[in-house]
Amino acid sequence: MSTKKILLAGTMLAMIGLVWLGVVYWMSFFWVSTEVTQGIAQRIFYVHVPAAWTSFLAFGLAALFSGMYLWLRDERLDRAAVSAAEGGMVFATIMLTTGPLWGKIAWGTYWTWEPRLTLTLLLWFIFLGYFLVRSSTENPEKGKRHAAVVAIVGALDIPFIHLSVIWFRSLHPAPVVIKPEGPTLPGDMLTTLLMSLGAFTVLFLGLFLLRYSLENLRSELDTRSRHASV
Amino acid sequence: MRNYLKQIRTILWKDLLVEFRTRERLIAMGAFVVLVAILFNYATDWARVSPEDIASGLVWMTIMFAGLLGVGRTFHLEAEDGAFQGILLSPVPKDAIFIAKALANFVFLYIVALLVVGVFIFFFGLEVGGSFGMLTLVIALGVLAFVALGTLFTAVSTGTRMGDTLLPVLIFPLLAPVVIYGTGATSQFLAGRPVTEAEGSIRMLAAFALTAFFLGSWLFRFVVED
Repeated sequence: MSTKKILLAGTMLAMIGLVWLGVVYWMSFFWVSTEVTQGIAQRIFYVHVPAAWTSFLAFGLAALFSGMYLWLRDERLDRAAVSAAEGGMVFATIMLTTGPLWGKIAWGTYWTWEPRLTLTLLLWFIFLGYFLVRSSTENPEKGKRHAAVVAIVGALDIPFIHLSVIWFRSLHPAPVVIKPEGPTLPGDMLTTLLMSLGAFTVLFLGLFLLRYSLENLRSELDTRSRHASV
Repeated sequence: MRNYLKQIRTILWKDLLVEFRTRERLIAMGAFVVLVAILFNYATDWARVSPEDIASGLVWMTIMFAGLLGVGRTFHLEAEDGAFQGILLSPVPKDAIFIAKALANFVFLYIVALLVVGVFIFFFGLEVGGSFGMLTLVIALGVLAFVALGTLFTAVSTGTRMGDTLLPVLIFPLLAPVVIYGTGATSQFLAGRPVTEAEGSIRMLAAFALTAFFLGSWLFRFVVED
């Protein structure tokens, strides 16, 4: 597919995602019923959980593309990896800001060492390393390879981090009264959540394609300016 | 296979010999460990907390920071005079270079890690008792995981403008399981709990160390290729 088509597809998807997100906001503010024990604050849930899901999807894709890049050495795979990783950073940041805001009201404290929250925070730092390695390596080719190694080790480390933070939590039970989702989700809450998951996923895919075509254009510009200077 | 082991042995022996003649890294790490313990003394009210309660966490964090200090220098000697290019050009598989480098780091950091335990026993009267053997095993596994990831990412960070300052950003998030299971098992030993209770953590540490070592020896070739 040409860069132009990808750009168009990305713009379309991002637009659909944004409109869909508007619908989700309307649903979560006006349509869905208020949760009994946590009250209005529980509505953060419809942003927090989809953001977490999207960031995991994005980081997973980034690791996958990185692995394929090391194997096939196709520049496009590296561009896809960095685009997905940037999306992951954005959505992980949303997850990490909405989490403490919700936690302050629901648990009475900004931060608890809740396993999923901790895992996302560590993932955020792993991918911070990914971007630092990319940007601070003198030789861009080398930077791409090194960053891919960071993403792969990060992805394969996740099961260990996940198990260990859960195990840590079982040793040091935190004063949690309410589980984030509660045992079962009433119908309208589930509908809103699923709608929100859809909106976030589509928005991410749109942004991913936009970012990817931007990388394409950038490298094209690079090649052309190099030709022009010769 | 025999040739492979010989190659590993040659590089490992070279690194050990250079270090034991100059003793630069060991002296720096050892002094760091003792000085940190001295500062811990003034940072903690030992009249109110017993060393057994908090030593496991302090021991592991000291090992982590000392390790950072040590592995950061893995490739410095070779970086001068282009000696590393020479090693890379020699007909030694890249994973053999990695294993030799990581094992050399293991030897240095393990010595320093045992010194950390010794310093805590000496300064703070830490009671290790009958669990000393298990404690050294747990520390060995943690140190193995540390040097595996540390050696791999030192090769990454040495090639960047940020240099060693990048290393903790890269490896600390990845090493969270080592700190969690390491301190978990250590505090169980120090509390005098039976070894069977720490078995789960020891298994996880072993699995993590092996995975990290395998990953390092597999991915190292992508880091050093030119």
